Amino acid sequence: MSARPPLRAAVVGAGRMGMVHGHLLQVHPDAELVGLVDRDAGLAEHLASQGLRAPLYPSVDALYRATEPEAVFICTPTHTHLAVVRECLARPTHLFVEKPLATSLVDAEAILRLANDARVMHAAGYVYAHLPVVQAAHEIMAKGVLGDVLRFTAHAYVSEVFGPKQGWFFQKEQAGGGVVANMASHLLFILGWLFGPIRRVTASTRSHFSRVDDSAQVLFTFATGVSGLLDTSWSVPGTQMLDYGLTVDGRNGTLVLGRERILLHLLVPADGHAAGWSEIHASELPADTAFDVSPHIGGEAFYRQLQTFVDACRSGVLPFCSLAEACNTQRMIEAIYASAAAGTPVEA
Amino acid sequence: MDAGQLVLELRPAESRHYASWTERLATVARFSRPDEIHTLCEEAHALGARAVLAVVDPPIREALLAFQRWRDVPVWAVVPNMFAFIRDLTDLGMVGAARARFTRLGPAAMVRTGLGAVTRLGAIRRRDFATGTTLVAEMELAGLRGLRVSRLFLHPQVTEIALAGGVSAVFTALADRAERLGIEAGIVTHNPLRAAAVLGRELGRFAAVVAPCNPKGYKMFPDREACEELYRRDPGRFIASEVTAAGAIAPEAALTHVRALGLAGAVVEPRVVEQAFRATTRASAEA
Repeated sequence: MSARPPLRAAVVGAGRMGMVHGHLLQVHPDAELVGLVDRDAGLAEHLASQGLRAPLYPSVDALYRATEPEAVFICTPTHTHLAVVRECLARPTHLFVEKPLATSLVDAEAILRLANDARVMHAAGYVYAHLPVVQAAHEIMAKGVLGDVLRFTAHAYVSEVFGPKQGWFFQKEQAGGGVVANMASHLLFILGWLFGPIRRVTASTRSHFSRVDDSAQVLFTFATGVSGLLDTSWSVPGTQMLDYGLTVDGRNGTLVLGRERILLHLLVPADGHAAGWSEIHASELPADTAFDVSPHIGGEAFYRQLQTFVDACRSGVLPFCSLAEACNTQRMIEAIYASAAAGTPVEA
Repeated sequence: MDAGQLVLELRPAESRHYASWTERLATVARFSRPDEIHTLCEEAHALGARAVLAVVDPPIREALLAFQRWRDVPVWAVVPNMFAFIRDLTDLGMVGAARARFTRLGPAAMVRTGLGAVTRLGAIRRRDFATGTTLVAEMELAGLRGLRVSRLFLHPQVTEIALAGGVSAVFTALADRAERLGIEAGIVTHNPLRAAAVLGRELGRFAAVVAPCNPKGYKMFPDREACEELYRRDPGRFIASEVTAAGAIAPEAALTHVRALGLAGAVVEPRVVEQAFRATTRASAEA
């Protein structure tokens, strides 16, 4: 355990993600859960029965009157993020905002501006980017092992929507969209982190069952010249949790990123990686995790995500998963929807 | 294969990770058929498996019913099927998800569950976590009628949340329920140290703690050394999971490691069983 006092943090929004973050804040040795905020006061006993021991407050204002969190985790429905961020930044408080950042790029950029003006640390909840294999893939790319990156293909699938759906998650105004904004955005974040800002997007989306997009096909061109294809759907059978895959081709080889391993094929050796095929297995990578809150979904990535945020708050150095990077993801989401609506390529 | 007690792990094929989308679809399609699952059970039995740790969905239930007609192999039931429950929660809401489980029960189980719920109305209204979890678990367990169940486990998604919150009541309720049924209770977790800390002496009420164990330290949180130290204190209580570290270790080497630690047994997933069965068959053919 670190000698520093734990990061005092509160969770705003006590739904499924709020509870996950609340539990992690309680088990992490460098963090402390000091409060939960939700309008539904009837949740208090339910939360306490789950072992979430911090008090439940009906508003951010009530939280601030009772305690002084150093950080807040915003886990309310997406369309409320900007208003809640504004409320939370009545005091300079480090911000963790669940994904997607907002329902529009304008709101996302406003959130980023507010956080930067308040000079606080900030991060977004794209949890899959914290998986050890994803971080290892980023390191390989950053070191130029593949040479000039040329192209990629990617997929993000989950079996979730096979009929009409209810709830805010399936209302575009409240959730910001469908599969693109809420599931594929995990992969969009990783693509943006690997390849930088986008230049052009050509996309088509379809609603199979719900009132939002249930599938999408996207052709990206990034500012660096990298181009690639993404296919996504939450209306395909076969996977109860998000199944993603990414294949990247460079002048010196190919990288295939899966959930448990990276396959690498290099024409010439680079940075300690041999020519030909090699494999980097998740079991060879450090997990740096003390508690696995969700073995089947996310796994150790949730703990690592919190560790990254705590480290940022303590060091004063913005993490790779900052709201600026999340704005890049939001730009991709918005461009996809704009292109699909217009039926033409969109310059970002 | 020998590593103390060998246990086949069954859960919906959709809930596993695969190397590729193509492999996923091929495997999920194959294991949507009860006869394929039954074949897998027979292969596991031939390799020495004498229990099946199962999250039961309809095809798995049908396969296990057929398997248990011929083999005296008990089911270690993992309840509730959390993925199905979460899907129902999204589609039907809490009441709808509970109702869906209730209507699947036989008349006697309906009466028992109904009476049980009446005695806990206050806790249900308060949305008490332990009560809600126990009630859903009981309904799913009642839905397993016809299967010979010898051990009862909570689904890891519930277990880890309860462990994070230090809610020992969830586990004692499970142990109480198992005792009343004349079976044993167990725990499946990726956080065995936390389980030991939360449950203290109560851990002794759980006949089996299924937790990751492999020479790479994969999924062993907080680290391999701490987990192995815990296992060595009471090896007969622990059953190894994640033994091949997601395919990074060959089955025989994985089980040798478990044996060396003296653990009570090892849980093996379908691909490990199929790999080992093929190897055994090949060796027999060559001999």
